[in-house]
Order: sequence, then structure tokens, then C-alpha cells
Amino acid sequence: MIDLLIASALTLSVPLVLAALGGAIYRRAGVVNIGLEGHMIVGALFGVIVSGATANWALGALAGMLAGAVSGGLMSLVITRLKGNQIIVGLGFNILIFGVIGYVLRSVMGVSGTLQVDGLQRLPKIVIPGIADIPVLGALISGKDPLFWLCILLVPALAWLLRNSTWGIRLRATGASESASASLGLRSLWIRDGGGAIAGALAALGGVALSLGTVGLFSENMTAGRGYVALAAFYFGRSRPLPTALACVLFGFFDALQIRLQTVGGFSGDIISTLPYAAVVVVLALTGIREHQRGARTVS
Amino acid sequence: MTTSTSGSPVMQERSKPGYSLGRRLGSATARIGRNAGLPVAIALVVGALVLLATGNDPLSVYGRLISEAFGTPSRVNATLAASTPILFTALAAAFAYRAGVFTVGVEGSFILGGLTAAVIGSQMSGFPPFIAVLLPMLAGTVSGGLAAAVPAILRAIWAVDEVVTTLMFNFIAVGLAGWSVQTFFLAPGQANSSTEYVAESAELATLAPPGQASWGLFIGLALLAFYAIWIRCSTLGFEFRAVGSAPRFSKAQGLRVRTVLITALLGAGVIGGIGGSVHALGLVHRYSEGFSAGFGFTGIAIALLARFNPWGILVGAVLFGALNSAGATVQLFINMPVQIIDVLEGTVMIFAVAAFTLPRLVKRRSKRMEGTFS
Repeated sequence: MIDLLIASALTLSVPLVLAALGGAIYRRAGVVNIGLEGHMIVGALFGVIVSGATANWALGALAGMLAGAVSGGLMSLVITRLKGNQIIVGLGFNILIFGVIGYVLRSVMGVSGTLQVDGLQRLPKIVIPGIADIPVLGALISGKDPLFWLCILLVPALAWLLRNSTWGIRLRATGASESASASLGLRSLWIRDGGGAIAGALAALGGVALSLGTVGLFSENMTAGRGYVALAAFYFGRSRPLPTALACVLFGFFDALQIRLQTVGGFSGDIISTLPYAAVVVVLALTGIREHQRGARTVS
Repeated sequence: MTTSTSGSPVMQERSKPGYSLGRRLGSATARIGRNAGLPVAIALVVGALVLLATGNDPLSVYGRLISEAFGTPSRVNATLAASTPILFTALAAAFAYRAGVFTVGVEGSFILGGLTAAVIGSQMSGFPPFIAVLLPMLAGTVSGGLAAAVPAILRAIWAVDEVVTTLMFNFIAVGLAGWSVQTFFLAPGQANSSTEYVAESAELATLAPPGQASWGLFIGLALLAFYAIWIRCSTLGFEFRAVGSAPRFSKAQGLRVRTVLITALLGAGVIGGIGGSVHALGLVHRYSEGFSAGFGFTGIAIALLARFNPWGILVGAVLFGALNSAGATVQLFINMPVQIIDVLEGTVMIFAVAAFTLPRLVKRRSKRMEGTFS
């Protein structure tokens, strides 16, 4: 029971972690990414199509990532160049993406919402012999797909890059003050767009983890609000990689618990599914009150 | 980390006082055309590209959409019925944005308001018609306001960014509604989870019986007219416009910034709650999953396109209502999935907030923005 719960919590966390890390990077560059949901569904779709066409999961994941980078970059261009409000552009972008995908699925591919591609290769499960049978440890690290291990690598790597690399410092400077970093000669808008493309690519990989990892098909509502949970996670983790990833694992655990309790019965999954969002409101409220007491804000 | 998402989503237009009503109407129309024309044109082009790429003739599809929306009296009736909920949500969004408060939580208020009205309305069988309508409406209004209460308090007292909190409250509202329907109000013998139908006496009467447009449309129009007069003629309305265009200046002048912020957020919730109640009592007559087809977000798109102008809100609500009602029937005749409507709506939303100006102007404007809101 506990093994199953751990294993499913971690599996459910992978898409969240990837999307939330992308969102955290973009947030560090100074933009809140509401479009994560749209980038995820793009990645999920392209992953399934290309994996089906080439019978190779790695190519599928790569294609999904590239498509996500394009969609993230395009959205960022509207925000940075046309000065579109980031929230509205993100919301509109999600509506547009889901509209286009829903339209194309029905009118070109002739399916209503679910796309099953023959010959698609799912993400392999890496079973570690010996460890697989140890009770808790086996559930923790054995039988995971490559994207899980990518998450494990990505968290410390990103933390280091943001703290120490030129790219990370410039990115954070752009986020702290766009005009100040521009006056120092940084191409701040391009730095933001780069952050947006990375955010799109990572979120799209999260989508690939959904479509090629868990089920092996594409369904137009398979993200089911995960982009917004990822948004909640990087707010919860204050856009730092490790806390953000841990928040995702927590939310993934909620999700696993909810599925588990649904099968047991007698408990509503609806309430559990609101927990991530409620957590964000609490965190924002506490941060706001603390900042307010320091007198940091002058405009009410 | 310190950048704020708040601040007015679009530039506020200054209205010039002293002109006659006719000239003001004329200049308002010109302004709407300038502000809304380009996003709508881009959306039509994007839609046309998608249609072309999938082997449809855009012109004939658009023509078909127009005839399906306005061709016969019964189609006009359907368009008006589809316009009613988004008239409320657009008004709610415009109300808050006018004060520079950027709520995306109307969707949540709409849902909770609709659920409350549907639940109370289903208990109204013995009551006289007037009370049977009024009570659920009031309850829905209150719960719509309650859905916005926490973000409103957080914003007004501790300056907590309202964009993310209201967005989060949408999801909380959906979860709460789903849970309470499952646990307390589930109608027996229904395939999907929904509440009981409201009592007949609690239904808002339809305008032309076979059609679905109800008196709710006039409630919306009355609210819109009230908003138009109130924002122009009341003290608080003046303060709304002042805080919306220059928050620091307003604060320095001693305007009631905190009152404005709290009224803006609660008011948007209340209007959203009325919208949900009208939708529940006037059209669907119960609450079920998927009660709001993203009406709160469509409302945002309309409010931004209209730049908060009442006439613009009315025109925008009818246009989007036409898209929704025509899109639903057109797909019965030709191979054109209804999702093309989402493509148009999303594109309008994206480009409604984009600033199409010469680069030099953009720079000057953004400098002004940072000066105002940082």
C-alpha cells in the first residue's frame, strides 16, 4: 500500500516538477507564466505524434520539447515586445492552444479528443535489479522513466546555474529590474524570451511525461489543470528550484492520495484537489503580511 | 522576484468632458473601433488561416456564422441567450479593471453564485413567484461576493497581489462546488453530477417562449446602465477612475484608495454572482458540472476589448454570444468543430492587451508605466 502510494506520487510529480521548474526560471526573469498548461498540452501532443511516427521515445520527447520551446518563445515575444499583460496573454494563449488542438484533432485527424497512435514507443521504465525488491527504496528509485531522472539532475543543476553562472545572474538581474539591467547593457528582453522558451520546453517535457509516460496516448484534457498546479508550486517554492520541486512532490502526493481515496470511496477528491491552490493563497497572504509589516510597500 | 503582476492591464483612455452626448458617443465609437478593431481583425485572420489549413473556405464559414447568429428571429433569440452570462462577467471584469484592480476571479464567483441560486431555487416550490426568484438571486449574489472576499481583504489591507489569489480562488471554487454537489445536493438518477432542477416558480421567465433568452438579459442591461451612470456621476466612481489611472497620485490626494480596492474586488464578485444566479435560474435551471463554459474568461476578453466602455461591453457581449450560439449550430451543417470559437476568443484576448505602437512610443509608455506602478 505505502509502496504503491509512493510510486504513484512520484510518477504524478514528474510532469509537475518539469513544468514548475520552467515556470520558476521564467518567474526569475520577471514574468509569471500562466501559459504552462498550454505548453504542456503542446508537448504531450507532439511527443505522441513523433514517437508514433518514429517509434522512438527519445525523438518524441525531443520533438515535444522543441514544440514547447517554440510556443513558450512566441508567448514571451507577445509579452516582451508588444507589452501584453502577462496574465491575460497567458490565459488567452491557453484558450488559443486548446482551441487549435481541439479543432485540428476533430477536423484533420477525425478523432474527438483522444488520439491513439499505433506503434508509439512509451518511455522506458528503468528497473534497477536488486533495489527493485527492497520495500520503500524500491518504490522510490526503481521502475522510473528517464524524465524522472532528468528531474533529479535538473533540480541541483538549475539551482547551481541560477546562483553561479553568467546566464543565471543575468536572468535574475533582468527579473529584479528590467530597466536597470537594460541600462547596464544587457539584452534584457532577449534574456526574458530565452527564459520563456526554456519554460515552454520544460513544461512541454512535463506534457511528454504525461502522454508517453503514464498512458501512451494523447487526450485533449489530459493536463487537467496541472499547469496551474505547477504555477502554484513555484509560487509556493518562491521560484527556487529545490523548494519548488518539493512542493510539486507534495502536490503529487495529494493527487496520488486523492486517486487512492477515490477507489476506497467515501471521500471527495474535489476537496483534496483544491489543497495546492489554497496553499498558495496562504503563502501569498503570509508573505504579503510580512512584507507589509516591514513597510516594504508604499502603494496600497 | 520583486516584479508585481498588478497594474492596469491596458492603458486607460482619458475621456474629454464638455462635449455633447452625440459627439461623445461618436468619439467613444471611434475609440472602440481603434482599440478593438485590430485584435478582432487579427483574430479573424488567425481563424481564417486555421480554416484554410483544414480545407474550409473562411469567407463562407464566417458568412454562415453571421447568418446562424442573426439570420432569423429565433437565432437572434439564441444569440441573446448566449450573450446574457458574458454580459455579466464582462461587466464584472470592467468594474474592477476600472479601478486598476486586476481580478481574474469572476469565473469562481459565477460558479458559486450559480450553485447557490440553483440549490435555493430548488427549494422554492411553495413560494410566490416574486420571492421564489428574489431569494435565490440574493443568495447567489452574496456567495459570489464571498468568493471574492478573501482576495479583496488581502489586497486592500496587506497589498497582496490580487491576480494570483483570484486565479487560485477559481480552482478552489470549482473544487468546493464539486464537493458540495457530490456530498449534499446530488440529484438522484442523473448520469453526471448535478443538483435538482429549480422550482418552476423560481425560473426567470423567458422573453419569447420557444427561445431561451430570459429576463436575465434585462437585469444585465439595467446593471450595465447603472454602471455607466455610476462611474461617471458618483464620488466613488470618480475615485475608481482616479485610482485606476494614477494610484500613487490618488493616495497622495487623500482619495479612499482602500475603499476603492475593496469595492472593486467585492463588486466584481457580486456582479459575477448575479450572473451565475441568472444563468442558473434563467437558462440551465440547475447546477451541473461544467456550469460555466469559461464565461469568466470570455468576460475578461470583452472588458479589455471594450476598454471598460459600457457600449463596448454591450457590443462585445453580443458578438461573443453570437460566436458561441452560431458556433454550436454551424458544426451541425459543415465540418467545422466548435473549437474554432476558442481560437478566435484566445487570439482576441492575447492581442487585446498588446500595444501596437511605434517603438519609440512603446519605450516612453513603458517608462511611464514603471514610474507609476513600481
